[in-house]
Amino acid sequence: MASDEEDFVFHGTPIEREEEIVSRKKKAVAGASGNLRTLPAWKQEVTDEEGRRRFHGAFTGGYSAGYYNTVGSKDGWAPQSFTSSRKNRAGARKQSISDFLDEDEKADMEGQSLSASSQFDTFGFTAAEYSRKQVEKEQHERPSAIPGPVPDELIAPVSESIGVKLLLKMGWRRGHSIKDVRASSDARREARKAFLAFSTDENTKETSDSMVSETEVETSLDPQFSEDIKISESIPVYVLNPKQDLHGLGYDPFKHAPEFREKKRSRLSANKEAGFRKPLSMKESLFGPKSGKTAPGFGIGALEELDVEDEDVYGGYDFDQTYVIEDEQPAKPSNDNRLRLTSKEHDVLPGFGAAKNSDYSMERFNPPTIPKDFVARHKFAGPLEAESKPTLSAPPDVPPPADNNLKLLIEGFATFVSRCGKLYEDLSREKNQSNQLFDFLRGGNGHEYYARRLWEEQQKRSDQSKLTLDVKPSSSVQKMTAEERGSLLGEKPLQRSLKETDTSASSGGSFQFPTNLSDTFTKSASTQEAADAVKPFKDDPAKQERFEQFLKEKYKGGLRSTDFNRVNSMSESARAQERLDFEAAAEAIEKGKAYKEVRRATERPLDFLAGGLQFTSGGTEQIKDTGVVDMKSSTTYPKREEFQWRPSPLLCKRFDLPDPFMGKLPPAPRARNKMDSLIFLPDTVKAASAHQVSESQEHKKETSIDEPEVEVEVENVERPVDLYKAIFSDDSEDDEDHVMNGKIQEGQEKKNEAAASTLNRLIAGDFLESLGKELGFEVPSDVPYQEGTKPMEEESKSRSKPEGSSDKRPDRAGFKQKVEEKTSSLTLGSEEEKSRKQKEKSPRKRSGGNDLSSSESSGDERSKKRSSKKDRYRNNDSESDSSSDYHSRDKQGSRSRRKRRESSREKRSSHKKHSKHHRSKKSSSSKLVYSSDEDRKESKREKRRRRD
Amino acid sequence: MSATAELPTKEAHVLKGHEGAVLAARFNGDGNYALTCGKDRTIRLWNPHRGILIKTYKSHGREVRDVHVTSDNAKFCSCGGDRQVYYWDVSTGRVIRKFRGHDGEVNAVKFNDSSSVVVSAGFDRSLRVWDCRSHSVEPVQIIDTFLDTVMSVVLTKTEIIGGSVDGTVRTFDMRIGREMSDNLGQPVNCISISNDGNCVLAGCLDSTLRLLDRTTGELLQVYRGHISKSFKTDCCLTNSDAHVIGGSEDGLVFFWDLVDAKVVSKFRAHDLVVTSVSYHPKEDCMLTSSVDGTIRVWKK
Repeated sequence: MASDEEDFVFHGTPIEREEEIVSRKKKAVAGASGNLRTLPAWKQEVTDEEGRRRFHGAFTGGYSAGYYNTVGSKDGWAPQSFTSSRKNRAGARKQSISDFLDEDEKADMEGQSLSASSQFDTFGFTAAEYSRKQVEKEQHERPSAIPGPVPDELIAPVSESIGVKLLLKMGWRRGHSIKDVRASSDARREARKAFLAFSTDENTKETSDSMVSETEVETSLDPQFSEDIKISESIPVYVLNPKQDLHGLGYDPFKHAPEFREKKRSRLSANKEAGFRKPLSMKESLFGPKSGKTAPGFGIGALEELDVEDEDVYGGYDFDQTYVIEDEQPAKPSNDNRLRLTSKEHDVLPGFGAAKNSDYSMERFNPPTIPKDFVARHKFAGPLEAESKPTLSAPPDVPPPADNNLKLLIEGFATFVSRCGKLYEDLSREKNQSNQLFDFLRGGNGHEYYARRLWEEQQKRSDQSKLTLDVKPSSSVQKMTAEERGSLLGEKPLQRSLKETDTSASSGGSFQFPTNLSDTFTKSASTQEAADAVKPFKDDPAKQERFEQFLKEKYKGGLRSTDFNRVNSMSESARAQERLDFEAAAEAIEKGKAYKEVRRATERPLDFLAGGLQFTSGGTEQIKDTGVVDMKSSTTYPKREEFQWRPSPLLCKRFDLPDPFMGKLPPAPRARNKMDSLIFLPDTVKAASAHQVSESQEHKKETSIDEPEVEVEVENVERPVDLYKAIFSDDSEDDEDHVMNGKIQEGQEKKNEAAASTLNRLIAGDFLESLGKELGFEVPSDVPYQEGTKPMEEESKSRSKPEGSSDKRPDRAGFKQKVEEKTSSLTLGSEEEKSRKQKEKSPRKRSGGNDLSSSESSGDERSKKRSSKKDRYRNNDSESDSSSDYHSRDKQGSRSRRKRRESSREKRSSHKKHSKHHRSKKSSSSKLVYSSDEDRKESKREKRRRRD
Repeated sequence: MSATAELPTKEAHVLKGHEGAVLAARFNGDGNYALTCGKDRTIRLWNPHRGILIKTYKSHGREVRDVHVTSDNAKFCSCGGDRQVYYWDVSTGRVIRKFRGHDGEVNAVKFNDSSSVVVSAGFDRSLRVWDCRSHSVEPVQIIDTFLDTVMSVVLTKTEIIGGSVDGTVRTFDMRIGREMSDNLGQPVNCISISNDGNCVLAGCLDSTLRLLDRTTGELLQVYRGHISKSFKTDCCLTNSDAHVIGGSEDGLVFFWDLVDAKVVSKFRAHDLVVTSVSYHPKEDCMLTSSVDGTIRVWKK
């Protein structure tokens, strides 16, 4: 540069001279004090704080005030430096911002970008860079032996980086991992000392901070390094992890997807050192499926959560793990493959092959034969152990002691001990040490008799328990099928076809979990025991079939008590809960029972009471089973049912069909939904609410009978709920009666159905409405109460549990059919209809009033009532096949009920009634309704009177 | 065996591309193309007669369980584990509309004849009818009388037929506004309608196919021999209604004689569960798909 300067020729005068600066400063100070104000404008100079004239920039005025804000000199613009074109042509000179900046401005600019001085070059990067540049420059000047740029690695930093220096001072030695520094406290202390010495002017806090960050930086520098810290004592990383892939130096295929690095490494390590390190499963990584059961390869989005539905139901099939596809697969060393090959063959050393035929033959041992009586189930010593012992030696049969009380006590005690085990006997023996009554326990009076009793009881019980034990463990080991899992979870299997009914756990009944559980506990045993010889009720040989069932019941009771033993560990509250469940289930079931079964059921609890245990629910539950079996045997698949369904107008439009309900009110079945939702309430609540609704409606009806218009609308809103409940409950009862009576009715129903399907549906719909209006306030109060609760409960249960309720569906079918029958009968004469209505609404009323109390009431009371009602219904059902039958039947029924109320008063009020009704109705149905108004009227009045 | 000779039992092509189980394979209206869908969340369009993959449709968030193409081949709909019904444009591969509303996985979708509505069958025990014409995303109708998962849906010109795990095949007749429920007593896995429209074939989970008369609800015939207990396997009828085809969980495909319920032919089609069988509308050609990730084209 220095040589260049000689060539320059300077034109014009320099703007300022050195000496002037001082004077200028003075001038500036003076100017600030106002001295210069006297000068003419063109002589005034604006200066900066250093006294220099202020320069605005060429385009904004040049020097302030200089030559009238024009240029910097009298001569005009200061010319560009001239370069002779002879030596070097003037190229297009590139201007940069620095050309226009003063030094102080430049300093300002640079102040914004901090850079470490070469001394504080922590990792030597800057030094390396600098030295590389240096070398490059050198190379430019004098070509070296190696052409081309020098590889980075060859250029070592000239000086030690500050980081290394620090580390060294802290006790780190080259070739050692950094962790050691932290690990050895000795070195650390030393390091701290050194560090303090190194930076004396910094306070301790800062040093510790910086130390931490330093080490963190070091460890975060190379994750791989930090991971292998233990091994990397003094081995450089590139020795540890030799480069085996074909990627370019420093190329990281996982740069932007570090998640997969883990996966790949785990795969590699799994290959290399099989079993040494547990391969990192995808599970732990971000994108891995969170459950082992998901289908391989398909994770779910980050925003979705893993659900049951993500489970891979098609287990079994093992897709090859899907790998991240890399551009280049690392070239595996060939010996790696060989190793894997050989490792496939068992026990063969590398390089050896397995002999084709060896003279060593495996000696095979047959598995030990299992004794016939072996039970694959652990029997717990303790309470139950006593059971098996006494069977060996039967104590002599001894006449009971003369004292009747003692005899009873001994018998009771023996039963109890047989149930609860020997421990109980020991316990009570200790407890009643001094009690004379319990002398028989200690070998006193009646001991022989007690021994004999105990033996008998145990004999009986061991028979039963053996059976249960035999049956139970069967299928649990096999792979679970859907059914098994369902039954484990307490799901009801759907109804089976006929032949399967007796073996299936599905009672098809209306109960969910608890009862089903008890089914699984007891069912198999009960079926087996039917074949068993023990028959406590042999006295009636004529009805063999009935006895079989009764036997089952009996055994069920016995089994339940074994269950009781088995689950002795159950908490008291759990057991109580269980029993409650049983009872509730039994109650709901009972409704569909034949009279005899019920009678037996009421007998059975007595047995248990005699045994000292109160498992009353066992009996009733058994009844449920038999009842269900009956029902099932009378149903065959497929069953066709028909309901009303309303396609939306738009749907019809889209299908290019005329809307069958064009312009009609929403059809009746809509209410079914309401009912469903209602039915999910607890029974009591529901019943109460239903009752309330009906009550309130009745009230309304009575109060507003003079202004019917208002009332009609209200009813429209409220009525459907209890209306359909009433219908359903009644019909379900009817239907079950059908079932109980065998298949005769079914055929008839079919006929009815066929006939009904030809009927006008509009009429049916309107009829339902009218029915709804009328039903709410025609409830006679003196009808027996108990029956009504049953259908309600049953219905609700079946609805709350969809799987089990398929056999309840006939209820609705029955309902539909009846509706249609009704419509047909309407055309003939509508008298039957209202009498039917009476019949229907009565159960609802009953249910409303008595649900709570009846659910608690004992079975026999209920059964009696039911049986009486059932008889009545049976009569009805036998006649239900044709509308004319309906007619006569209903007349019978309604008349008998109504006889005393029949009066001429009806006619008077019928007019009013009719008019009101008419308003609420579609005109199409008004005529039909009209004819039936009379009867409705009359029943209503009757009801009112009864209330009074 | 002239009967077996006319059955498509010879493998013509293996369509590979799906990663993971293929859940459904369907011919289009004229049988020239096929759509398949599977666990890998894709729907693929194939030319099954040449064995070529034409297009892959990706948008579903979870497995795709069913697809159906309109009769004019312009649109198709799909459904699956993400609880939505997708309405696609075939050529552009864009999703035209997504119908949300099902509370659970959607098991099956079908267009009606005029392709104006899509009917979907869901785990939420409902059938939902979606309108393709308007821009409404609300279902036109929700049919929720089923008591359990609806597995399969079939449409006729006037009826919607759904098969449910509650054991019923329910026919909803729009002309008369009636619902006919045929209770089979066994969970219904798949239903398909005979080509004459008079019968419904219902595959039940007790390893039985049942043929029902649609007008009376009578059980006409029962077909047994295959395994169908825990997976959704399809069944269908040949286009002449002469044979009944059913996939089995052990990878076999069964052909029964429609009338006497004899197993006319059975052969191993796949290694694993046969999820779907679809019969060509005109020719003797059949598609089977399987959990093993392949779709096979069978010709006679």
